[in-house]
Amino acid sequence: MSNLTRILLATLCGLVLAAGVHIAAVFMAPSFAENDAFGRLQDTLAEDQAQIISPPGGGATWLPLPDPATAVAACAFDLSDGPVRVTAKTGQDFLSFSFHTKTRGVFFAVTDRAAIRGELELVVMTPRQLDEARAAEDPNEPTRDVRIVAPQEQGYIVVRVAAPYPSERMQAEEAAKAVSCTVDEDEDEAS
Amino acid sequence: MKRPIPTAALILYVLLLALGLGIGSAYAVLKGAPPFGARSFGPWHVWPKLGSAEADPYMRAIVARRGDIPLATGEGLALTALVDNSGRQLDSACSYRVGSSAPAARWWTLTVYDADGKLAPSELGRNGFTSPEILRDAQNGFTISLSRALSAGNWLQLPPSGPFSVVLRLYDIPGAAGLSMNAEDLPTIERLECGA
Repeated sequence: MSNLTRILLATLCGLVLAAGVHIAAVFMAPSFAENDAFGRLQDTLAEDQAQIISPPGGGATWLPLPDPATAVAACAFDLSDGPVRVTAKTGQDFLSFSFHTKTRGVFFAVTDRAAIRGELELVVMTPRQLDEARAAEDPNEPTRDVRIVAPQEQGYIVVRVAAPYPSERMQAEEAAKAVSCTVDEDEDEAS
Repeated sequence: MKRPIPTAALILYVLLLALGLGIGSAYAVLKGAPPFGARSFGPWHVWPKLGSAEADPYMRAIVARRGDIPLATGEGLALTALVDNSGRQLDSACSYRVGSSAPAARWWTLTVYDADGKLAPSELGRNGFTSPEILRDAQNGFTISLSRALSAGNWLQLPPSGPFSVVLRLYDIPGAAGLSMNAEDLPTIERLECGA
């Protein structure tokens, strides 16, 4: 084989491999990102209340393109400690929950339209925890819990509360901070 | 007669080429907007799958790199405009008129950001309007003026200089509205005049 053929062949191999490296890099990027939302929310893992990440009115935030008319709060979760129960009191204004995994994006979202008597309560669990909870359940007394299965053990919950008027900002921030995310002990003991 | 190139050198060349091109191209793509799944309505762009479980790997990687938390599909939809209705880049030196209707949603917000995606300081402490607070005309339409200098009505002050972007967030939209939306429902962005 002449040198030219060898170089051409090597370049072709390089290009094919480069495509593979490109795909691998894109797929692995979320796992290696340290400044992503999950990485920045590590401090909230131990908290029982959602922490404000973007206050209404445009305060300091790391969130890109923050909406000044909403209060955004979040809490990270790790389901290896047990299912996570998230509870919010809803009012007149828009409130929404979105559930994100560490690397695979959004897996569920719900707004205050789904609230029952001014309260929105959901339990996030792994498929295994769901099986356990079902097995432990009394068939005569079915639970009222709204259960959501998370595709990954680690993730975070984001709550957005509307403040359509500047005068409602304080109230929205308080409502977002009042959201509780606690590890559900009861489900574990019941099994 | 020429000596053949050593095989080891060729293998090194292949590996360097693969790593350099692969990582370089991945970095270049992830720095920008998601390459697939965008929909355009006039000046507005939206990635309907960004906040859903069907987001493609590019979207996930870009969201992670930005440290962003996109609006989930059930929460709402964020539409971004970087250009006006004629396709010219939005420029703080010009003034714009945005109106007059918005798609059906429980409520919406329209916010102006500077070139870095930050809220620029403004004289009235206002960077956006929400649907309940905006002043409307007799036909229930609205007009928002974007300019550096004070203007009557719904006025948003533009950043001191450079390009800017406008994001329209529709919260709690009816089921398939994200897919059945059309450009006529969305506000137009008209460039009026350009000063110094």
